[in-house]
Amino acid sequence: MTDQSRNALERLAANKHERLNARLKSRYNRERRFRAYGIASIALGLTFLAILLTTIFSQGLSAFWTTYVKLDVTYTPEVLYIDDATDESQLRLADYDGVIRQALSERFPEASGRQTMRNLTGMVSTSAGYRLRNRLMENPDLLGETETLWFLADDDVDLLMNGIIDRNLPESERRVNDQELEWIDSLVSSDQIERRFNTTFFTNGDSRDPETAGILGAAMGSFYTLIVTLALSFPIGVAAAIYLEEFAPKNRLTEIIEVNINNLAAVPSIVFGLLGLAVFINFFGLPRSAPIVGGLVLTLMTLPTIIISARASIKAVPPSIREAAMGLGASKMQVTLHHVLPLALPGMLTGTIIGMAQALGETAPLLMIGMVAFIVDIPGGFTDPATVLPVQVYLWSDSPERAFIAKTSAAIMVLLAFLAVMNLLAVFLRKKFERRW
Amino acid sequence: MTLSNQYREQKADSVTTGTPSEPDQHAITDWSGTVGDALIDDPRMSTRNVNVFYADNQAIHDVSLDIGKNEVLAMIGPSGCGKSTFLRTLNRMNDSIDICRVEGDIVLDGDNIYDKHMDVVALRAKVGMVFQKPNPFPKSIYDNVAYGPRIHGLVSRRAELDEVVETALRKAGLWDEAKDRLDKPATGLSGGQQQRLCIARTIAISPEVILMDEPCSALDPIATARIEELIAELSENYTIAIVTHSMQQAARVSHRTAYFHLGKLIEVGATDKIFTSPDHKLTEDYITGRFG
Repeated sequence: MTDQSRNALERLAANKHERLNARLKSRYNRERRFRAYGIASIALGLTFLAILLTTIFSQGLSAFWTTYVKLDVTYTPEVLYIDDATDESQLRLADYDGVIRQALSERFPEASGRQTMRNLTGMVSTSAGYRLRNRLMENPDLLGETETLWFLADDDVDLLMNGIIDRNLPESERRVNDQELEWIDSLVSSDQIERRFNTTFFTNGDSRDPETAGILGAAMGSFYTLIVTLALSFPIGVAAAIYLEEFAPKNRLTEIIEVNINNLAAVPSIVFGLLGLAVFINFFGLPRSAPIVGGLVLTLMTLPTIIISARASIKAVPPSIREAAMGLGASKMQVTLHHVLPLALPGMLTGTIIGMAQALGETAPLLMIGMVAFIVDIPGGFTDPATVLPVQVYLWSDSPERAFIAKTSAAIMVLLAFLAVMNLLAVFLRKKFERRW
Repeated sequence: MTLSNQYREQKADSVTTGTPSEPDQHAITDWSGTVGDALIDDPRMSTRNVNVFYADNQAIHDVSLDIGKNEVLAMIGPSGCGKSTFLRTLNRMNDSIDICRVEGDIVLDGDNIYDKHMDVVALRAKVGMVFQKPNPFPKSIYDNVAYGPRIHGLVSRRAELDEVVETALRKAGLWDEAKDRLDKPATGLSGGQQQRLCIARTIAISPEVILMDEPCSALDPIATARIEELIAELSENYTIAIVTHSMQQAARVSHRTAYFHLGKLIEVGATDKIFTSPDHKLTEDYITGRFG
């Protein structure tokens, strides 16, 4: 037996060198291949990301600028059909579009005919009338006066100015006809039309008119919804994790709870939406389309993520720290609050922010509770009707007007900006609270 | 010193003259109770017929052992002999292990510590523990030492706490190294300093008994020597039970030594007796290096 094995080892030693070298080469090759796979997958991922971002940015950046038209408007009482600018009921009924029409026909006196006049007034956004009403409400003295104002141009004019509508196309194939083209050129030559930064996009709620549609309503909706989600899911999730990890006895029941929490994380989000509809709206009678309900539904969805990550970070606290505190006579509660929680906090925060980022991007469950409604007003609280950023993206991407393509991408950019800020916050908090032991 | 010399001679003897033989399993079956003077007069802490089970596995078999006042008791034995388990029953550190069950009486100050009226928090304020690996809290040096007095509400004023921290650090021989960096993280100390900090942290609540679970196994020889000196000094005021893998250490620091084997307490006696003329075959085999 010993002789045999000695012979085997001797034989092995005899040609060890060649075999080792041959093997070594293939080992290194394998390692190189493995690295190449890794690099390839990262490159692929980065390529997709680059394509995504390029598409979004190339389409969306134009939405941050919009076209304004300068007009001399005269608040003629006869055109407005009012005689007293301090009377609100008169102001409400006044014909402001008439003032715009008059200003435009003074600028382009050659325009005549019903259809031509309609095309002419169509060059300025329908929001122009509201603007005049607001001006007049604030300064009743303006009645009878003339002032020069920049008005939002119609979305088609903006698309042309931006070059998205190709002016070389035959008239029948383009949204802006030859006569409108002439008017625009005329306005350009007299410096009465220009593209400026689109503040409207950041200050308005949703609108059917692309040029007046803004993101603020959805952003505020997202903000209120996430506040509710954070305020509920973080304390509940952390408390559940601490109880399960530190206090709960390890038995069949806690095992079942653990499995169920893990399962809950995999439940399709729309199911939570249905649950929210049935429980919060139908049973508890909370308002439809409200951030509070959205927040509750997203809490249900985020909880498993937070609980799982919080439990993982509690588990990662070295047992020696617990023993040290226990050995000094710290109670269970003191061990948890003084030592485990501070050490687990960075991980908990990271998990929470990842959960929040998920909630921010969630659309499906919110459709079920009516947060997909067309809401013009900017929500001012937790019970006001609201929509959220991803739903706004969905709504705009579904709108027929061409100008909404850019708006959609712009809304995605805002959403991505929110996500980037949140992720940076997560990294910052982790770095700040991270402690070594 | 003489003790460890003797020990070394013995060891050298056994290496040269001893023939390699199978460990003598025969003696275990003959086990019929602890040899030596396990019980003493006026003990600080006494244990009677202690059995410890992990689920269905019995880790400790019927151990009765007294720990005297201001005594250093060393517990030695091969790996898995139950000496750490036994040590941890003395301040109920095994409570956190669900499957662990303790039977028998462990009496401190006239109270059975496993009595259901016994408050484990109060117990651990009396029986402190130093662990195998230095485990300072990731806080400042000051906060580490001040933690015990703070949670037990032992001091009422900041100045008093400062004094307690300084005294504890002085007793642990860390004051000179730490006094200028009390607000610096304790994790920045070296391994030996960290272990002395853990000792300072333990004595800051003025326990009656200090349990040490292989306190030097993660330290270099110089740090070990400092801890051993410290143990000798501390024994003037405290009762110390120390588990160690190093027989030299047991010989150097302890007054009495208890030898554990497979969950049974084989032999207890004055340290010099155990290391020079043990009565039990198993003890002799272990200290002469036949197995372990």
